[in-house]
Amino acid sequence: MTTSTPGTTPPLAPRPAATAKPRGVHHPGTPSVRSMLIKISLLAIVDSLAVFALFTLLLKESWVVFGIALAVTLAINYIYLKPGLLPAKYLAPGIFFLAIFQIFVVVYSGYIAFTNYGDGHNGSKEDAIESIIANARTRVPDSPTYRLTVLEQFGTFSFLVTTPEGEVFVGGEDRPLDEAPSARLDSTGKAIELDGYTTLDFGSLIQNQSVIADLSVPLTDDPNDGALRTPDGSSAYLYTSALEYDAEADAIVDTATGERFLDRGDGAFANEAGRELSPGWKIDVGFDNFARAFTEESIRGPLLGVIAWTFAFALLSVGMTFALGLFLAIVFNEARMRGRKFYRIVLILPYAFPSFLSGLVWLGLLNQDFGFVNQVVFGGAAIPWLTDPWLAKASVLIVNLWLGFPYMFLICTGALQSIPDELTEAARVDGARPWAIFRLIKFPLLLVSVAPLLISSFAFNFNNFNVIYMLTGGGPRNVSAGVDAGATDLLITLVYKVAFGSGTGRDYGLASAFAILIFIIVAVVSIIGFRRTRALEDLN
Amino acid sequence: MATLPASVPVRRRRSAARWFADTGWRHLVGIAVVIFATFPLLYVLSASLNPTGTLVGSNVLFRSLDISNYIELFNRPQQPYAAWFANTLVIGLIAAAGTVFLGALAAYAFSRMRFTGRRVGLLSLLLVQMFPQLLGVVAIFLLLSGIGDIFPALGLGSQLGLIMVYLGGALGVNTYLMYGFFNTVPASIDEAAKLDGASHAQIFFGIILRLVAPILAVVGLLSFVGTTNEFVIASIVLSDPQTQTLAVGLYQFVSQETSKNWTLFSAGAVLAAIPVMALFLFLQRYIVSGLTAGSVK
Amino acid sequence: MRVQSTPRALLSSVAVAAVGALALAGCSTGPETPQYSGTLTVWVDADRAAVLEDVAAQFQEERGVEVTLVQKDFGDIRDDFTTQVPTGEGPDIIVGAHDWLGKLVQNGVVAPLELGDKASEFQQVAINAMSYEGQNYGLPYSVENIALLRNTDLAPTAPTTFDELIAMGQASVDAGDSEYPFLVGLDPNAADPYHLYPLQASFGATVFEITPDGTYDPTKLALGVAGGEAFAQKLAEWGAMGVLNTNISGDIAKEEFNAGKSPFYLTGPWNVPAAAEAGINYSIDAIPSAGGETATPFVGVQGFYISSKSENALAANEFLVNYVGTEAVQTALYEVGGRAPALISAFEAAQGDADVAAFGAVGANGVPMPNVPAMDSVWADWGATEVAIINGQGDPVELWQAMVASIQSKIEG
Repeated sequence: MTTSTPGTTPPLAPRPAATAKPRGVHHPGTPSVRSMLIKISLLAIVDSLAVFALFTLLLKESWVVFGIALAVTLAINYIYLKPGLLPAKYLAPGIFFLAIFQIFVVVYSGYIAFTNYGDGHNGSKEDAIESIIANARTRVPDSPTYRLTVLEQFGTFSFLVTTPEGEVFVGGEDRPLDEAPSARLDSTGKAIELDGYTTLDFGSLIQNQSVIADLSVPLTDDPNDGALRTPDGSSAYLYTSALEYDAEADAIVDTATGERFLDRGDGAFANEAGRELSPGWKIDVGFDNFARAFTEESIRGPLLGVIAWTFAFALLSVGMTFALGLFLAIVFNEARMRGRKFYRIVLILPYAFPSFLSGLVWLGLLNQDFGFVNQVVFGGAAIPWLTDPWLAKASVLIVNLWLGFPYMFLICTGALQSIPDELTEAARVDGARPWAIFRLIKFPLLLVSVAPLLISSFAFNFNNFNVIYMLTGGGPRNVSAGVDAGATDLLITLVYKVAFGSGTGRDYGLASAFAILIFIIVAVVSIIGFRRTRALEDLN
Repeated sequence: MATLPASVPVRRRRSAARWFADTGWRHLVGIAVVIFATFPLLYVLSASLNPTGTLVGSNVLFRSLDISNYIELFNRPQQPYAAWFANTLVIGLIAAAGTVFLGALAAYAFSRMRFTGRRVGLLSLLLVQMFPQLLGVVAIFLLLSGIGDIFPALGLGSQLGLIMVYLGGALGVNTYLMYGFFNTVPASIDEAAKLDGASHAQIFFGIILRLVAPILAVVGLLSFVGTTNEFVIASIVLSDPQTQTLAVGLYQFVSQETSKNWTLFSAGAVLAAIPVMALFLFLQRYIVSGLTAGSVK
Repeated sequence: MRVQSTPRALLSSVAVAAVGALALAGCSTGPETPQYSGTLTVWVDADRAAVLEDVAAQFQEERGVEVTLVQKDFGDIRDDFTTQVPTGEGPDIIVGAHDWLGKLVQNGVVAPLELGDKASEFQQVAINAMSYEGQNYGLPYSVENIALLRNTDLAPTAPTTFDELIAMGQASVDAGDSEYPFLVGLDPNAADPYHLYPLQASFGATVFEITPDGTYDPTKLALGVAGGEAFAQKLAEWGAMGVLNTNISGDIAKEEFNAGKSPFYLTGPWNVPAAAEAGINYSIDAIPSAGGETATPFVGVQGFYISSKSENALAANEFLVNYVGTEAVQTALYEVGGRAPALISAFEAAQGDADVAAFGAVGANGVPMPNVPAMDSVWADWGATEVAIINGQGDPVELWQAMVASIQSKIEG
């Protein structure tokens, strides 16, 4: 309790600036050799890492990344070696990380909005073809298990198979099975060696497993009889394929009916009737997702109501958390008050627990029949906190207040310190009431430093998916109205439902397009807010 | 703070009403808000002392006081709680220190220097973080797997890589917070120091940083809390249990629909809140120490 | 204020140092696992990792192939696997639930698995669950389903119909022995179609039509049959009577049953140990029919899948079929998770446990939960509608029909 005694200067408070002596001023006015050396050696370390990275990229022939990395390396050297460019010297480290880990994420999300990425369009076309063919390959019913030995000859692999009847055959890719009576058998009657071939042990099998797993040995000259393949290297089964890929025509062909599934530009193979084979693949679709975002019926109906509630939720959340946080910061900013440390510690507790845990506890507390709030606080009333449309709105706001006020409290506590006591003292001497002092002096000053945070908090709550998802899942929903939007659905949760909950499943492309549109709304509102705070701001 | 020593004898005799008007009502507010802040958390504490596994099944708090959950936390070889705890501290503290450092550098530049693009830059920092990050996980995964191809030690599975991802968020809201605070430090201090022959770096490290200590502490704490509770990215990056953080590890106790162990989770969460409180306790004196006379603009 | 620029920027060097030190420190530690051919990467959750460690060590010793077990959160495995497989970074094998399969196949991330002659050694329902469009994709290891948990002190005999159950429960409540005639954990916004399904099925309303080979036809929604509407009416009735209450969450239901406040509890094997520990004398019974037909619960199967982009296909197959698919491992997995084994020999060995046997008997005529991708759009509407019906927010039949129409339109995209 170092600050509880009135009139004592807190021992750790910075000295008054007039007497502050900068640390580390060795030789005023002359360049410090040591700092110069530190700088050069650090730059050397960064450069050596950069050269290593560039060299690796060169070997990998990733030219685009190489170009970017080279440009960044040159820029860093330029910034720190050239005299001047002071702002850049201070900004570069932060911007370096920002560019890699934040801007990239934004750019990537933006790019996805122009693709059909999502369930069913998850990978490349090559992968899709491979999957389609593999999934369509089925074991011939009632066909036997062939005991298998994999042989190698001049770098190609062959199957040495023993039928349940004890017959032995050998064959390879495009070499149908042929009798191999000269093969040597082991004690169980399984053929294990053949002259001219090397038998693969399990280790060599594993070394070459990707080739061997792809090996397909025709049973006879007639491809319709199927081919032997091995899943494990020790047994082989007879498979026929319902679908085949015709590389020349770029089509998947149904071997039974001859029906052709063509790449019709939608990221999937489809037949004449439009039936698509699964999986498809990821393609660029231009502005299709944006067009869908604007025409999506399920989102247009409830849109106005949801937007109004989203704004209300975001504004009220910011307003309430800020008001409570500021109020508490002021209350506990009184030096004469005892126990402030205790109060402050307890106040940040809601912030120190995982928020989804707190969300679940609140869910239990607000339970209509069993929750603490109804049972204890309201003496057994059955108030439908989370299932009545208006009460649910109030409940999510209260829970969000609980989750958010410690943040505002911390920030306001810090920000209040920047307001010099002289200002308020002078006003008090002039006879101003405490409320007037607060309203006319403290609050405007405080707002200068926290206004941008309020804007950013608005943006955060505008997209506060988690609190809604935890508590109500957007509900309560009026199922008879035929719309998916519930009473507490924000724009972002509605978008999730639309983009992830219908049709083929998760549609990242559509979701990203929505995300960009939401971002534009939030950004415009923020820029307007930002311009207004600019008027507040004293630019020193 | 303006009370003069001479007023002390007067204060001793002051009435209860006077006491209430001065600080007493503050305690009422304090008690009310302590109840509001903690009563949901009592459930967590109560569950952590109850071996049966449910979180909010009943309104009877502290029906059993059993520390077996706490003991079990440290006796699960597959879920090394102690390692998670240490990892969280290390990652959280390094990321917080880095965030404070990078943010303070940028805030200083924005506050003290005038350059083209300054306004736009400030605004962009704010806007970048408003983008709905619904594909953030996929992008971060691709990014780290690409970085890992060049520097394996920074790729997927690396705590260092995770810290770097967190540092990507160092600029932004934090910069703003510090920027506003830096603006309240009068430029005359810089000028005076410069006349003494100090370089800009000496002014920044020697004078300014000390004057803005409260906000550095606030940003450090916010960043630490943010990092320790961050779950989504950490679970993508860290896969070896020995390297995971508390947020990732604890979640495993309750992620399976049919075998949720809420009581164990609660015990873990209760212990996990201790570092945050300890850090706050440690930083509190910086946060509330305040600027003293002379720092008027 | 103009700042005089000076080249000796101590500051800038420290800034660079931050970058440099990070990168440098990065170089000195190298925890990366090398990805050479012949290392199998398996994603498992923590519980099962312990069991697989032994068999992984055995595999490495006997086959020389290293098995790296990566512990993942079970709930994250499906999505992370789907995202990572196309990048070539994903694992070779994952543990997963059978109802993920449709999504995995739709996204082309899972490879068919040839069980060979081993297929006949597994329970048929497990094999069906792991199949999608006629192809097998996974090695099943556990089978689980819900059943009726009865407090034998409060209800000495098992009810044969759901109406009888209600009457017995009500009598117990009226006698002051219990507080609830019947318990099942529901969600205030999403009810629980999974737990209520056996009752629905007893009216003859499945989700999709079942084809002759025992799989679902995802294009033919079967919720809209007359039995579905009859079930909806019953839901409204039970809701009004207080037999069903959407405010009784899973947690509450478990607490209250374990406190001896209800004779009946519709739940799965995962909640039985807690009931036993609480000293409840229980019996595991078949779910009584409400609509005349058998009340078959959904069967959930868990198993292992192989990535379609695994470069270790042979080793992965060998590991699953001949190591994980053995009685010893299946039994060990059962012992740690309490889920009945999918391998028949292990399942029979586990029959010594009366609870496993009882749940197994209830699930014997169960059908697997649908694993088609369209299920995602079914659950949400299904649950929200059940909530509305139970709480009497409209005419049950109309609500049910609106739900069927909505699901139909979503499936058609």
